[in-house]
Amino acid sequence: MIGRARALLRLVALQASWTYERMQGIGIAVAMEPLLEPLHQYPERARAARARSAQYFNAHPFLAGAAVGSLARAELDGEPGERILRLRTALSGPLGALGDQLFWAGIVPATMGLALVALSVGGGLRALALCVAGYNLLRVLVTWWGLDVGLAHGLRVAHAISGSWLPRAAPRAGDVAAVLVGAAVPLVAAWLLRGTGQPVRATVLVVAGAALVGALTIRRPLSAPALTVGAAVLTLLWRWSAA
Amino acid sequence: MSEFPLAALLLWATVVGLDLASVLQALLNRPLVAGAVAGVILGDPSAGLRVGAALELFALDVLPIGASRYPDYGAATVAAVVMAAHQPWVTALGPAVLLGVVLAHVGSGSIVMHRRVTAWALRRAAPALDRGEPGVAGRVHVIGLLADLVRSGALAALGIGVATLLVRVLRFDVATARALTIVAVAGGFVAAIGGALRRAGTARRIAWLAGGMALGVLALALR
Repeated sequence: MIGRARALLRLVALQASWTYERMQGIGIAVAMEPLLEPLHQYPERARAARARSAQYFNAHPFLAGAAVGSLARAELDGEPGERILRLRTALSGPLGALGDQLFWAGIVPATMGLALVALSVGGGLRALALCVAGYNLLRVLVTWWGLDVGLAHGLRVAHAISGSWLPRAAPRAGDVAAVLVGAAVPLVAAWLLRGTGQPVRATVLVVAGAALVGALTIRRPLSAPALTVGAAVLTLLWRWSAA
Repeated sequence: MSEFPLAALLLWATVVGLDLASVLQALLNRPLVAGAVAGVILGDPSAGLRVGAALELFALDVLPIGASRYPDYGAATVAAVVMAAHQPWVTALGPAVLLGVVLAHVGSGSIVMHRRVTAWALRRAAPALDRGEPGVAGRVHVIGLLADLVRSGALAALGIGVATLLVRVLRFDVATARALTIVAVAGGFVAAIGGALRRAGTARRIAWLAGGMALGVLALALR
């Protein structure tokens, strides 16, 4: 249990040593270390396990616990090194894709959309703090769950994950994010543009215009920040010539 | 600015820089959160929330996926709040948000430098790592962490320094500053809506987005 808690703590800083060569490989090795302590009585096995644990790996950081748990279980069970390396490669893509879908395209925008809605209707700092606390509780629970599933199933972790709640929840999180970000758009526009002289007209114009340009930038001929800075420069030139 | 907020802001901007990818990823780097806390530190939480919300619209367009190069909005937001705090927000919001957008993209280059430093440490340690020597992975990890601490601290100092300087030298008339606010906020919505449409991908998800917007308009009408 202590080893598991230490592994969880180390997973919090998984990406501190991210590189293009091994991506999260070093972070995975550091997180696995406490779980591999029982191997210390077999120095050769421990050495081989340490060398394997620092190889290339990349997945979503919040789901990497499943990889850490399953790889550690496989090492402790004395599985052949080749099978462990194959498991490592096999887990990388699916854990990355599921995590990106669940967190980066789902829970993170959903949380920020909810926080923006709450703030624009007067929720204040307390609403924001609640959103951040809820997100972090969920994030820790998911990482802990992944570690547990990995340690329980070892080489069969992919089967355990595919039969779990995760593949069903990931697309739903994106739906929730779409609704909350959509709801936030008019509310935040009204909140931020109140006081610019003509708030209702400005809100309608800004949201409609932004929706149109946003749709046009889907294939990214121009990024929104570049467009904004360009428009600001033109505004300054226009105001300067009018003065 | 007195010494206490300056030290606290530097510390906070460094922490949010670490939160981007290296440690936690607990949403502290999100502009809304980074801005709110910076606003509280400066005694103007309202400015922090408004600047944070406007920059959050830009950040909603960013998917921080592993090998991609993405902007760092954390320290940039703290700097933008420094620029907007204790000023009339209608005129301060635009210039502050524009500074935040530019600094966030400067920060993007610093992420690549951090990765290069870690890669240098990794290459030196690779033979020992592949022999399975104990403690080597931990040492590379600590070097990566320290490099990101330096990166975040430098970005924090640069951002807060630039913002403090601009507060002293930039003077816009009300009409220009107001126009910049509308441009900055509109740019944020282009990013947020464009990002949401890109993420949506399917007609069903776009319908969810449109439904959410309709709900927002309804809530606005009912208020």
